[in-house]
Amino acid sequence: MQPAHRLIEEIVSSSRIPSARRRREVLRELQAHVEDAISSGVTERLAVDNLGDPREIASHFAWVYRKERAVLRLSVFLLSTIAVAGSIAAIVMAMKAGIAIGFGVPLPRIFSPRHTLIEAIDILSTAAAYVGLLSLEKLFDRRHFPKSAALLALIFAALAAVFSMAGRPWKFLLFGLVAGIFLRTIQVLLKNQAARIVVVPACFGAIGLISLRPLTVASWVVTGLGYLAMTHLAVRVDRALFKGLQQL
Amino acid sequence: MDIDREFLKGSVSLLLLNLLSRGAMYGYEIFQEASRRSAQAFEFKEGTLYPALHQLEKKGLIQSEWRTGENGRERKYYALTPKGRKSARDYEKQWQHLTGAVNAVLGSE
Repeated sequence: MQPAHRLIEEIVSSSRIPSARRRREVLRELQAHVEDAISSGVTERLAVDNLGDPREIASHFAWVYRKERAVLRLSVFLLSTIAVAGSIAAIVMAMKAGIAIGFGVPLPRIFSPRHTLIEAIDILSTAAAYVGLLSLEKLFDRRHFPKSAALLALIFAALAAVFSMAGRPWKFLLFGLVAGIFLRTIQVLLKNQAARIVVVPACFGAIGLISLRPLTVASWVVTGLGYLAMTHLAVRVDRALFKGLQQL
Repeated sequence: MDIDREFLKGSVSLLLLNLLSRGAMYGYEIFQEASRRSAQAFEFKEGTLYPALHQLEKKGLIQSEWRTGENGRERKYYALTPKGRKSARDYEKQWQHLTGAVNAVLGSE
């Protein structure tokens, strides 16, 4: 059953069926089919030939389970975004509290409800853009980063248009999109982690330079460090959730 | 005679539902029965049968269960659901109507 087993493994592994339980079931079913063929007098080689092109069978299965795959991807995206944004918001806020104390600034000034809300929305938007990029990249076989960035820009533009028409704030979406694409670009282009640790906070700190206030610069540097941590966390959370949800 | 795969594609659901309307069957049995009844006219690749069965199951037209046969081997049996039984009748009517219309056109020359 060696060639048959290899062929069946190939079919199942490239079928992109999202549920691990369902993949195991397809494996069992195809194995039972080959066993039936062999026990009816067909040679293993012929049974394998009769089964057909593994890529064609896998692509048929992929088409049948396309909706489940989309639901899984969307669920992973939503859960990852919430988990990553929540963690990073907590880290950034804690670091900013430390800076405020260091600069002798009263905490209520840093954590005014309006400012905290804007910051939280910016972090959520950036996390959504970054995790969204990771998810969209899996849709493409080649040139996945530019294609997913373009698709994400279209999605965010549509969302911004809807928010704008509904009279809701939409600029945070633009911030999130730019920050998300910037972070992913840095991650793709700069393979050296030490270089990323320097470049990302420096770029975010440069935004703070506009105000010419040390506290604001420090606050942006901290934001940059938080986002850098997010890029590490998001990849792991995305992978773990994807694997975990596949087992359900 | 080789049958164009495009012709076959549209009729796979009809064939599978019709075969299963006579009782629960497992994959290899379905394939053999289709080949036997069509006098080997349907020489489609056996592996493509399973995505088609899974698609029908997802639509709620058939249901499956694993059963252990007399030889101790496990097989997944497929059977029609009430919805599938109705679809089988509907598809058959549509097919009769279509083939009647096509034959009328072909015979009118």
